[in-house]
Amino acid sequence: MKSDWVINAFLVIGLLVTAVCIVLPLIHAIQLSFFQLESFVSEPKYIGLKNYSETFADSVFWWALLHGCIYAGGSIIFQVSLGIGIALVLSKSFKGQQIVRGLSLLPYLLPVVIVTLTFLWMMDGTLGIITIGLAKIGIRDVPWFETPFTAMAMVIFVSVWLWTPFVTTCFLAGLQTVPKALYDAAKVDGLGPWQTFWQVTIPVLKPILTIIILLRAIWMFNKFEVVWLLTQGGPVGATEHLPILAYRKAFLMFNVGGGAAVATISFMILSIAVFIYFKLSPIEEK
Amino acid sequence: MKFSFLFKNSSLRRIGLYLLVILISVYSFFPIYWMIISGTKAPTHLFSSPSLVPGPFTWEYYTMLFQVTYFPVQFMNSVIVALGTVGITMVTSVMIAYAVSRYRIRGKTLIIGVMLYAYMFPPLLLAIPLFSIFAKFGLADTLFSLVIAHTTITLPLGVWLLWGFFKAMPFELEEAAMVDGYTRLGAFLRVVLPLSLPGLITVAIFSFLLSWTDYTYSLIMIMSDAHKTVPVGLAGMVGSYELRWGEIMAGATLIALPLLIIFAFFSRYFIHGLTTGALKG
Repeated sequence: MKSDWVINAFLVIGLLVTAVCIVLPLIHAIQLSFFQLESFVSEPKYIGLKNYSETFADSVFWWALLHGCIYAGGSIIFQVSLGIGIALVLSKSFKGQQIVRGLSLLPYLLPVVIVTLTFLWMMDGTLGIITIGLAKIGIRDVPWFETPFTAMAMVIFVSVWLWTPFVTTCFLAGLQTVPKALYDAAKVDGLGPWQTFWQVTIPVLKPILTIIILLRAIWMFNKFEVVWLLTQGGPVGATEHLPILAYRKAFLMFNVGGGAAVATISFMILSIAVFIYFKLSPIEEK
Repeated sequence: MKFSFLFKNSSLRRIGLYLLVILISVYSFFPIYWMIISGTKAPTHLFSSPSLVPGPFTWEYYTMLFQVTYFPVQFMNSVIVALGTVGITMVTSVMIAYAVSRYRIRGKTLIIGVMLYAYMFPPLLLAIPLFSIFAKFGLADTLFSLVIAHTTITLPLGVWLLWGFFKAMPFELEEAAMVDGYTRLGAFLRVVLPLSLPGLITVAIFSFLLSWTDYTYSLIMIMSDAHKTVPVGLAGMVGSYELRWGEIMAGATLIALPLLIIFAFFSRYFIHGLTTGALKG
């Protein structure tokens, strides 16, 4: 089919909007990272790679990177194992299956803000329903967000609650593609459910699982709002990861260039992950 | 079942399965339940040994929320921003996705690849420069700046989803329509668009969802209370008021409400969108 003016016009308008909204800001972000400026309206001063050398020399950056890895790693491990577990249960037939599937999906659709606020409320030190419930069975004075370990655990827990449904949904969809003949063969070979899972289901779904884990890693590494709303990166920076460091530098510490540098470094790390993603799941023309 | 000794074992299994199902339901639903209950429970009960059952019932948090706080204004801001984002996203992503799917050029997968890549950008990567640009043009702290910021996430998503729809649609469709006397634009508007309605609905829903639930961009782009959207406005109440959990949970319920309604009516599109990777999460 010959391309005509409508298609050309569509393409030009569309790409123009994309350029203004996405490409231009991206270039500007990298550009900002080479400048020193205290606020967004002050006069920028070119300082070359100084923002980067300062960032790399700062132990706060390396701690943030480590916290980010712990946060992302912990979240992914629990999201994936719990997500698969829930998917396996929901793939069985039982009364009310559709409703329970819907319920299990709900956390994913709720705004992060209301979820974090609800958990903050449920884990309120004196009035929270979970705090009260735990006190009734003898667990008192849980320092929910006060110690580095519990704060990180809480941030991971809420992230797991929020995004496990993504794994569940993808894995459920995957389960339907496993040929039934394989399960029959496993039965003939006398494999139990546990063995069948590890020797049939997991090998067949390995490609899907790899993509799921990679996507989770990409999202979790860049999550800002859960951590910010729950702990603001505290206590004493124990849950501060790269997105929070970038935000604090650019908007609270009057170091826009430094914030842009941290964001650009995150972008570089992300690009590696996206590159692997495209290698594993290339875009099909048709 | 033929063998009675197996029956016992399998009925035990049924019980185990139902226990797990109940556990999953409670785990997934309890926080939502408690949010709704907290927003309607009288303060005398909410703030001293609350019971899990609803009541005694009160509307006072809702009236407080509407009379004392910026909530109504911020709710409207959220609606305006979400609708603006949906509008821009729909028009632009339809254009790009259709053109790319019908263009015979090399490198069209590059455009789609860039879109998918952009969809995975860390929010702060674009938020910092966008704010810098808007500050220069005096557009900081406006709803318009927020619409553009949200479009940076929803546009790549829209193109990705619609491209999947358009490429599955045979070229012969428009060719036949054009033989029947339609112009290219006419064939597109009268034949292609109506047939891609499910795709359009999916894009509209997810654009709305992403914009409606966004916190990060709103936190950065908007400073004044009168221009904030509800997620940021509500989160701000935690610090600024003393023990306002009733009001906050009431507000949270109101934010969740449109989503629950959309979900109840369009869950089919949700599942479709989710399995094609529609939610940033």
